Amino acid sequence: MKKIVYLIVLISINIFAQSKYLTKTGTINFEASVPSVEEVKAENNSVTAILNSDNGEFAALVFIKGFRFKNALMEEHFNENYAESDTYPKATFKGKIKNFSKDMLNSKLEFKLDGTLTFHGKTKQINDMVISLNKQDDLISASGNFKVLVSDFDIKIPRIVRDKVSEEVQITYKFDLKKR
Amino acid sequence: MKNKILIIIALLVIALLAYNYLYQDHRDIASEEAKFSISPEQIVNAFKTNTRDSEKKFLNQTIELTGSVTESNNKDLTLNHIVFCQFSENHETTLNANIKIKGRCIGYDDLLEQVKLDQCYIIN
Repeated sequence: MKKIVYLIVLISINIFAQSKYLTKTGTINFEASVPSVEEVKAENNSVTAILNSDNGEFAALVFIKGFRFKNALMEEHFNENYAESDTYPKATFKGKIKNFSKDMLNSKLEFKLDGTLTFHGKTKQINDMVISLNKQDDLISASGNFKVLVSDFDIKIPRIVRDKVSEEVQITYKFDLKKR
Repeated sequence: MKNKILIIIALLVIALLAYNYLYQDHRDIASEEAKFSISPEQIVNAFKTNTRDSEKKFLNQTIELTGSVTESNNKDLTLNHIVFCQFSENHETTLNANIKIKGRCIGYDDLLEQVKLDQCYIIN
């Protein structure tokens, strides 16, 4: 009897075992620079991202304190006054790639992604974001870029720096997702 | 004449202070004293049981951890399967080695149930 239970459990694990591709060291860059003043940009190399290659579900988690600026003071101001990373230490994205099927990974490179982005305690729906997927053996490289407005996430740029920080933020990402 | 020299010196000092403030150095985790010395299990459990308070306590702090290397890549390693440590430079460690590291806690990853550290250094 016990053996049968084990067998059933084993079989069902196999059936429900989903193929997940993930990274813990994904890269996200953002830039909110205004031409001809000091650039406002940062890079984060500690992003966790997971793609379920059975159904195209995609999730990413970003630690705000992982954003590194060239200028240490800018980094401090970003954390304290804009992103308020003590109160909101994470940004998350949860979404699904549209019209996704596993087999398409071998041919198609560009997909469209719908999902929600949560940052600074606010959640915004983002639709039809273009995401490039490139599969090579057990590795899927996912990359793309999109724009958000700081006002969408309830972040106010003080008047004194309004001509130094752009209201529109360009975000680029690159994840090398390994199968596991 | 003397006054002018004093004013110029004062201006130079102010300019220097302003420059140092605007272009101050980044934190150097390697030279910082660790604020917490804790085991991988303890810190993960702390985050699991009370995420909010643990975030207030550990985030952005320099933390010292001892554990065994369960996964190792060029610029990162995992301690006891549950603490993920990123390095700024390539590191050399062998799997299953018992090591002590120091790094900055950036958060608790609830997707993977791991604590993440960056700017890590191996102490021994």
